[in-house]
Amino acid sequence: MDITTPITEEQAAALQAGDTVTLSGYILCGRDAVLPKLQKMIDDGTVSSLGIDLAGQVIFHTAVSPAGVGPTSSNKLEIESSMIPLSKAGVKMHLGKGMLKKETIEGLAELNALYAVIPPVTALLGEKTSEIRLLAFPELGMEALHLIRVDRYPAIIGAAHGRSIYE
Amino acid sequence: MRSYEEIVSIVSDTLVRAGSVFSEDKKEAYRRAIDKETNEKTKWVMETILENAEAAEKNRSPLCDDTGIPHVVLDIGDEAVVTGRFLDAVKTGIAEGLKALPGRPMGIMGNDLQRIDQSGGLNPESDGVEPAPFLIRRVTGSGVRIHVLMFGGGPAIRGLTYRVFHKHSVETVVEEIANRAKEGVAQLGCSPCTLAVGIGRSHYEAASLMLEAQVDGRYDVQSELEKEITKRVNEADIGALGLHGDTSVLATFLKVGPQRASGVRIVCIRPACCFEPRKASAVLSDGTEDI
Repeated sequence: MDITTPITEEQAAALQAGDTVTLSGYILCGRDAVLPKLQKMIDDGTVSSLGIDLAGQVIFHTAVSPAGVGPTSSNKLEIESSMIPLSKAGVKMHLGKGMLKKETIEGLAELNALYAVIPPVTALLGEKTSEIRLLAFPELGMEALHLIRVDRYPAIIGAAHGRSIYE
Repeated sequence: MRSYEEIVSIVSDTLVRAGSVFSEDKKEAYRRAIDKETNEKTKWVMETILENAEAAEKNRSPLCDDTGIPHVVLDIGDEAVVTGRFLDAVKTGIAEGLKALPGRPMGIMGNDLQRIDQSGGLNPESDGVEPAPFLIRRVTGSGVRIHVLMFGGGPAIRGLTYRVFHKHSVETVVEEIANRAKEGVAQLGCSPCTLAVGIGRSHYEAASLMLEAQVDGRYDVQSELEKEITKRVNEADIGALGLHGDTSVLATFLKVGPQRASGVRIVCIRPACCFEPRKASAVLSDGTEDI
């Protein structure tokens, strides 16, 4: 299935663990250092200052640097613990790699949010990335919050509706 | 001996090749694994990894955005003269290579405490990433050969250096390596792996042997012990990216060092990710054809 962001509730509901998808449109990029800060902005009610709507958004767990982009492990503490709070704020897909905890998978299911796995193919992803914009926390360098435009990123739905490809 | 500038240039090019080019035996190992794989998702991932390798080699761009920490092994021959200035040239070549690749700017600045909690900020330059201490090996021949390896963060998180009580049995050690590897590979997220294993008398020695194993290991030349470890881990049905399948590990590169009279062996296991070992080699001194 080809998906273009923002992802609708209906699209999220239709996807199942194991489905192969391509992803296009604008997506957010953030990892260990910035996701807790983004979470705090949501808690503080200041997230609207970023100028983006989190509804239907995708968060790609990656650094953004001259070396390109590629998934880091989504089961790192600060990343996995951000997934449910960010989903409550509207994020529909968390894009990364690695096995998640059962409680994370169940929490995402309650919010009709998805986890997708993307191969760490930086050279290919570079050919499919056309815009890169620094959104916030520039002091974090490659770990700052970025918005990028992507064209048909390959991914597999890793967890949906309480089921996981890692079962 | 080559000039300072020539050494810088060769080392720089070697680092770029390490970060962007799959060796032929690795490409062939992937092709064999794709042909044999029965899980369609793992097959798809491995095909995508090979496609990525072709794109990286064509563009001389990073295979992975975690371009890694440079690790250098120097093979020193009979007639070689290694000076501090020579080592400076190697280090400068590493820095130049990081700029050219480009390496991910991920060096942490600041004092000891700031480097631990990352409060000193990131060095914005690719060459702000320091290489690991060099490993020097004495070899036959007359010259100097360099091997550059780029170590990513994922395998470092999942790697383990720990003792094994061997009970005077190779089987005990092999079983323990396979069990530890299964856990590490399952959690890595970037399989299929190449298992790099060193067995020594101390943590330092075991880790050094693990590094040497990656330098010397070949996918098309596997010992019976290496094949056995690979087979046992592949039976765990982890697959590429943990998506299940027959291919969790492409090969095992194992180096056994000197051992002590003791019931303990120190075993270092690095579940090197789907792109690793990212390595390239070059001759740095004249008259070294026999190395």
